[in-house]
Amino acid sequence: MELDLARQAQGGDESAFAEIVRRYSPRVFSVASRFFRQRSLVEEAAQEVFLKAFTQLGSFEGRGSMEGWLTRIATNTCLNMVRGAKRRPEFTVSDLTDDEQSWLDHQSAGNEGAQPSVENSVVATDLADRLLAVLSPEDQQALLMIDGEDASIKEVAEATGWSESKVKVRAFRARRKVREAMEKLLARTNAGQVTNER
Amino acid sequence: MKDKHIIDVLDNRSLLNLSESELSEIQVHVRECVSCREAYEAARVSAIVLQSRAQATIEPSPFFQTRVMAAWREQQATESVPAMWRLWSSAKALVSTMAVTTAALAVLSFVIPATPASDQTVSYLSADSVIMGQASDEQMSYEQVLATIYEDDDEAR
Repeated sequence: MELDLARQAQGGDESAFAEIVRRYSPRVFSVASRFFRQRSLVEEAAQEVFLKAFTQLGSFEGRGSMEGWLTRIATNTCLNMVRGAKRRPEFTVSDLTDDEQSWLDHQSAGNEGAQPSVENSVVATDLADRLLAVLSPEDQQALLMIDGEDASIKEVAEATGWSESKVKVRAFRARRKVREAMEKLLARTNAGQVTNER
Repeated sequence: MKDKHIIDVLDNRSLLNLSESELSEIQVHVRECVSCREAYEAARVSAIVLQSRAQATIEPSPFFQTRVMAAWREQQATESVPAMWRLWSSAKALVSTMAVTTAALAVLSFVIPATPASDQTVSYLSADSVIMGQASDEQMSYEQVLATIYEDDDEAR
């Protein structure tokens, strides 16, 4: 069925290609959202993915799912888009906004059951972006998929085209870097709390 | 796990993949071990922010499909035009500009310079006329000058 749709679109059938775009846009947007936060960038990346997919329809043989095939194209397209971007140096406590600082204070005080709110999610997401910025785009992907989305090593390997051992190495390296960066932030946050209490 | 540091476990596996029993063993260990407690806290908070980030997905807008199809039609239209015609279309403006520039340079090089040269002659003759007190059309040739001088000499003798 998917193979028929691919062949029809490849032959120039506009409605077939429109059906592919309609059916798989949510998946492609989900992948692009891992790389970009701005809607305009996500849409630009998703459009690029579909146009690229159209030119590569001949390589889709229907052995795997079209969603998996498009996920790989989306991941590689987005990786190429962000590869040239300059990475930010590791940030410090002084770079934190007041909201981020108080969110971290709250977490380090052991309030695990913090009220999930839209504001808290935005602050946590901003903090994640700051931490992820110290990693390579490839390491970011591995970590976000495994630790953020609970994907398996195999799923990441399929989505990226990397070997499973490469995924493991990337995830290990990324997890350690992010943990160490967070450890420094929490240590300084705690030190600040002690100073304020005095 | 009670007597073994847990940092390697934290770096090797996602906290999401640890079982309840593994988590409780970790929590027992971190009560005693300060360095592992700090590492575990950092791993726990990191996991929270990463999960928040993963959930921050953007949904396709209702206009996205229209936008992609428009881009696709444009791409199709571009590909249907023959390559040589596309090359000419893009180079046409450049070639026209170069031709106009060449023509303008030719006019400036071969036609315009004649005028200033005649002006110089006129001005030279005018100056000569002023100095010698003669009009340009009354100027004497070298032979005439010599003849005049010798005539004057003969008359003096």
